Amino acid sequence: MRWLIRRVLKQGKGAVSYEEDVHFGDTLTIGRAADQAIFLSDLRAALNHARVSAESGGRYKVESLILAGIRVNGQLTYGIDVGPGATIEIAGTRLVLLDPPRDFDAAVEISTLDKTEQAAEKAKRSKPTTLSQTWIGKRVPSWLLFATILALGLVLPALSHFSAPLAKLLAHSPLPTTRSWNPGPLDAAHRFFGDDCKQCHPRAFLTVRDESCLACHSTIAAHADPGAFNLPALGEARCASCHQDHLGPAGMVRTDQRLCGDCHTNLPARTQNASRLGDATDFGTNHPPFRVRLPAWDANGAFAPQVAVPAAGTRENSGLKFNHEKHLKPDLNTPKGKQTLVCASCHKPDAGGLAMKPIAFETMCHDCHTLGFDTFAPDREVPHAKVAEVSFMLDEFYARRALEGGVEDREAPGFVQTRRRPGDPPLSRQEQTEALAWARDKARKVADSVFTGRACVTCHTVTPPAADRGYRIAPVRVAGVWYDTARFSHNKHETMSCKDCHAAATSPVASDLLIPDIANCRQCHAGARGGGKVASTCIDCHAYHQSTTLKLKTL
Amino acid sequence: MSARHESILNHARSRYFWVALALSLASIVAYVWHAPDVGPNGGTWLGYTLGTIAALLIVWLMLFGVRKRSYSGAGGTLRGWLSAHVYLGTSLILIALLHCGFQFGWNLHTFCLVLMLVVIFSGFFGVYSYLRYPTLMTRNRESATRAAMLEEIGELDQNALALADGIDPKIHAIVLRSIQNTRLGGGVFSQLSARDDSDAALASVRAAIAARETQAKATTNPQSGQTIFAMVDFLASGANDRQTEALRKLIDLLSQKKAIATRVARDIQYQAVMEIWLYVHVPLSFGLLAALIGHVVSVFFYW
Repeated sequence: MRWLIRRVLKQGKGAVSYEEDVHFGDTLTIGRAADQAIFLSDLRAALNHARVSAESGGRYKVESLILAGIRVNGQLTYGIDVGPGATIEIAGTRLVLLDPPRDFDAAVEISTLDKTEQAAEKAKRSKPTTLSQTWIGKRVPSWLLFATILALGLVLPALSHFSAPLAKLLAHSPLPTTRSWNPGPLDAAHRFFGDDCKQCHPRAFLTVRDESCLACHSTIAAHADPGAFNLPALGEARCASCHQDHLGPAGMVRTDQRLCGDCHTNLPARTQNASRLGDATDFGTNHPPFRVRLPAWDANGAFAPQVAVPAAGTRENSGLKFNHEKHLKPDLNTPKGKQTLVCASCHKPDAGGLAMKPIAFETMCHDCHTLGFDTFAPDREVPHAKVAEVSFMLDEFYARRALEGGVEDREAPGFVQTRRRPGDPPLSRQEQTEALAWARDKARKVADSVFTGRACVTCHTVTPPAADRGYRIAPVRVAGVWYDTARFSHNKHETMSCKDCHAAATSPVASDLLIPDIANCRQCHAGARGGGKVASTCIDCHAYHQSTTLKLKTL
Repeated sequence: MSARHESILNHARSRYFWVALALSLASIVAYVWHAPDVGPNGGTWLGYTLGTIAALLIVWLMLFGVRKRSYSGAGGTLRGWLSAHVYLGTSLILIALLHCGFQFGWNLHTFCLVLMLVVIFSGFFGVYSYLRYPTLMTRNRESATRAAMLEEIGELDQNALALADGIDPKIHAIVLRSIQNTRLGGGVFSQLSARDDSDAALASVRAAIAARETQAKATTNPQSGQTIFAMVDFLASGANDRQTEALRKLIDLLSQKKAIATRVARDIQYQAVMEIWLYVHVPLSFGLLAALIGHVVSVFFYW
């Protein structure tokens, strides 16, 4: 096998000359030993370093004979099958395997690397020694992170606000939606539509408008008429001024007294006397006295309470005569034996716990205060009803007695006193007329006695009949809502005893006002700071949405 | 100039430590005094104020990357900037937490906070490494430079080859292999783990060598993957005295080379550790900037 060995000899100034040699043999041996086909003097070469054999089709087989291996085409190897053009590097010498020219079976070109070339080779092969030479970088990850976070965190959700299809697409993908902007959990009542931010935030970069709230809260009452009271704070107040969602219960309803107190200061002057409300900035230290709704009736008899601040001589006109002191004495003599009454015997809270149920004669008074009217008929009573019904009942009762006969009354006509037996002839027309006249007379006398002497007058104020009308019973109003603008709940004061607030046990007449004043409440309650007392802010007793005539939606 | 070494932490009598401390204390006092009725949150006036301060701080802290690249020295020394960067960056943790009123959730806002905390804590590692590793590097180099050490390795290699050549072609091949396998540096993990690869490849070619060297009598020893053990094997297998002497010298040379190579690898490791945190700190701070923009815009988007 004929090998062409071409040596490249470098001369000065870049000039190159070639020296060609022929080698006969199956293989081309390379090394530092004297018997090698290609002799290398460099110490970095082994004695028998490598072997190249030509194969069919112009290909070469390169084998390393030592365990250090050889570098073929820049890669360390122990044996490789290569085509022409492959480069072998050993100890500062470069061998290029060539396409054999005519008359040769194989060819190789040998050149010696000079120092600069060797240094370049070494630099090319040397591994990075600083991180900046490796694959990791800062610029590309920085841009990637910046762009990704901006796109997913801001741009996509923002675009979905304007594009409903995109919002729908995002909602069905794992990508973040505008929900990822939710700063805190929504109130439980708002959660069912909470995924759709636009329900409350319809327009970007605008605060939540009242219209959004009023779309659902359409019946909510206003506080006061901004037209009547010239107060900027009233007109400018937004729902969100007091109700902020995403902040938990504390944010949902603001309870701080400052919110009310800032406005409820010097109101008469600030509203040109449109409002006459006193200053209220702190329940414990700065709050007007309580106003109560004193029972009163207008000319038509309709209940029209008078709101007033109770003074020392203020009397309550409930229309009833009642001695609390006497009724609360222990061991009262009653038809059912000894009984001791308590407040709750008559004053029972209504289902809501806010007020008391009306007093019912039948269940509360009737056990002792029976309405009998005739000693000969002790089990008969007049109804606890209107005057006309009582009179009607008495008329009927005595008419029947007169016509039946057997009445034990010396003043009655004889045939009325006579007990009639079966078979007796019926009363004549004349007798009937006389009997009924007696009955009418008797009924009127008994009615007089019932209304003015025995029964009604015990508790009621009865006006005797005049020319144009009969008896009149004054209207009665015992239970009801007493405070004008505040809500007092008996329910929340269950731990208290009635007498702690109501001096009923020492009240001999019903006109004593037993409704407590602010000093009574202040024994336990103070303003927001509380101190040693129950901290109470405005909305513990007052409502903001309290107008009875104005709705927020119509403002 | 005081006798005491001035570092980024005590620069200018720890001026920025006091600035950061004052800023933190002022924030705490305002936070405690403010106590809004709806509970502290980012939407109160103090929340907006602290948020604005925190956002401006983040932008200013990121400008350090710009200042680092400029040699004009505008606005104080680079060390002063770094000192301020470290202290004000630390106070940012408190300001951001007070800004949010300790409200957290699965949302962009808390993501922004977490990103900020990761950036700051990666910066803490940077401070630690800047204070610790330069000393270790100096001690490890023993007043040589890395280039000088690499040059020394090259010379030792040449000497070792010359010695090995006088002993046996097999030993020469082993030394040659050892030289080729001495790889200092490499990928990120190679640099961080201080591997110098000087002999590691030997074991992998043992099977091939065993097949080639049919006359080899040496029994395989589990430790003979190392060049030195391979040569001890050779010593034990019997050689003449002159060769034994040369072999001892060769082992000395290679041990010396191994020691230097280990030091270079450690030098590379120290430098890599000192730099690696920046590859977290810088990209994440750009991520944080995006999250911050998202946070601010989204808050006002749905005001």
